[in-house]
Amino acid sequence: MTESQPSNRPRDPAQTRRAPLTRWLVSLPPTLFLLTFFLAPALLMVGASLQQPGDFGGLVPALENGRLTLSLDTYRFFFSDWIYAEIFLRSFLVAAATTLLCLLLAYPLAWLIARSHRRHRDLLVLLVLLPFASNFLIRIYAWIILLGPFDLLYTPWAVITGMVYVHLPFMILPLYTNLEQHDPALLEAAQDLGAGAATRFWRITLPLSLPGIWSGSALVFIPVLGMFAIPELLGGTRDILIGNLIKEQFLDNRDWPLGSTLSLLLTVGVLLLAGLAARAARPWRGGTA
Amino acid sequence: MNAWRATLIVLSLTLMVSGSHAADVLHLYIWNTYLSEETAARFEARCGCRLKQDFYSDNEEMLAKLEAGAIGYDLLVPTGNAVETLLRQQALQPLDKNRLPNLGNIKAEFRNPWYDPGMRYAVPYATTVTVLGYNATRLSELGLPTDSWALIFEPRYLDKLKGKVTVLNSQRELMGAAMKYLGYSVQETDPARWDEAKRLILRTKPYWATFSNSTYIKDLAVGTIWVAHGYSSDMYRAQQDARDAGRPFNIAFRTPKEGAVLAVDSFVLHKSGRRPDLAHQFINFMLDGANAADVSNLIGAGNPNAAARPYIAPGIAGNPGIFPPAADLQRLEMLRDFDPKTRRLLSRMWTEIKVR
Repeated sequence: MTESQPSNRPRDPAQTRRAPLTRWLVSLPPTLFLLTFFLAPALLMVGASLQQPGDFGGLVPALENGRLTLSLDTYRFFFSDWIYAEIFLRSFLVAAATTLLCLLLAYPLAWLIARSHRRHRDLLVLLVLLPFASNFLIRIYAWIILLGPFDLLYTPWAVITGMVYVHLPFMILPLYTNLEQHDPALLEAAQDLGAGAATRFWRITLPLSLPGIWSGSALVFIPVLGMFAIPELLGGTRDILIGNLIKEQFLDNRDWPLGSTLSLLLTVGVLLLAGLAARAARPWRGGTA
Repeated sequence: MNAWRATLIVLSLTLMVSGSHAADVLHLYIWNTYLSEETAARFEARCGCRLKQDFYSDNEEMLAKLEAGAIGYDLLVPTGNAVETLLRQQALQPLDKNRLPNLGNIKAEFRNPWYDPGMRYAVPYATTVTVLGYNATRLSELGLPTDSWALIFEPRYLDKLKGKVTVLNSQRELMGAAMKYLGYSVQETDPARWDEAKRLILRTKPYWATFSNSTYIKDLAVGTIWVAHGYSSDMYRAQQDARDAGRPFNIAFRTPKEGAVLAVDSFVLHKSGRRPDLAHQFINFMLDGANAADVSNLIGAGNPNAAARPYIAPGIAGNPGIFPPAADLQRLEMLRDFDPKTRRLLSRMWTEIKVR
């Protein structure tokens, strides 16, 4: 962090001249990575969503016997009734509930870790990460065994439980990283000026931790939207989410255009939401931090 | 994985050029647990070659990998409709029957499937029936019939089974079962009849615990689920698991009298295979009764090979859920892929089934 701030160092004219080139070279690999693995597949999906499904899977070529086969049929099919929109809405609600629960559970824990003795912190963070040492599916199967006797298996609650359990570390870590950096002097000063515990939390800790809350929420919300294994294993007869729907189109139903359309609309939905969230977050953060 | 495969191929080509024996490698892309280690070892000893196996757990996974450009597989073991897809994609090599003297062991009823009449490309290896598996002890206490799809589609029976039933999470399989119960074909093309099946499923869905493709094996074996719609080989495993764990109940399974879905998995030669000679040798080896029996003894699969019968454990060979009697076989249907328009229509119905 500090090394990347050249203003702290005496200026070397040669270095200044080289800086744009260096910066360009350093940013090249991530840019290429994003272009190759995000933009290119996204464009391929736009193309596939306009193509027609092939007789035995795959796609009908865009240009067949000199005739253009592209059309908006799949989009028309998607918007022809409410059923797909309903699944989108339901998935966003599940993702929102998961994010909120993760936040409520993760915040006190991250705070406790950040406030614990420096010697123990690394160990505590390691414990948060420990579940990753065993396979994701095995951990979900463990929940099948845990929930079975309580008549909770194959219900929406089981899906939310599984989602919260799997994604909790993604909320804890950014929160911890943020909370750990808070300067205790601020809280002491507030106390000296007569602020109670609640006021200190509302006026200092919470506003300062907003960046951690936002990044943790994004890290939980977005993967939950695409998750299909948890609803499939823990959910009941109504717990279908967008992830399941997309997977079904590509594998079981081999309707790539519909699968691509669904993925694309999901991406657009997430980007819109992220844009709105960033906009909503800006004034408050700017005003208090 | 692909890089590893490419390395392996380059390596084996290099060795082939240098005239080494280690270059004799047969690449097999096959279902999990479809070939026992002993049989594989016996084949390796017989041919003086190495058998290299890769595994898949469903046809779609295998097709997707091949469509993405995986090469170097000599043999695949697709189900009927996937054989048709591969044939349409011109991805298979025809068989040389002169090199398959044991081909006569295949039962007459498996020699002329619609996708490959006369076995020009595909040699049948194992069969599975989609059946109802059930907790026999519990169901006889409740006095429920076990020979009909009515068990999972009729509220008067389901009243006693609420939350104790799972059905397959597969549009073709579940809607196929409903069609069979209504007396229609699983290849029906009339949308009105499919709609009837959809309404039947929506009506009975509240009684089911969940859609499950794999967890029902455990659920049946531990006793939390009493009736499951699923594959005969899975039911066999649930039955064995319950027995081995000494549960106070028995798991049984049978083909409903209205008929059901039959899956036949066959050996086919992929066009990218480099060793058709070894591939033919392997198929002929597996057609030998003693070797063909392997898959039945291993996972409780049905067997299209007549010569295998004496080598199959009596408990498996005599099980009508695994080996349907001739009369039942008449009522079994194989799934065949629909055209894209029908696929989309059915997928729309399936989504509605999942949401409502």
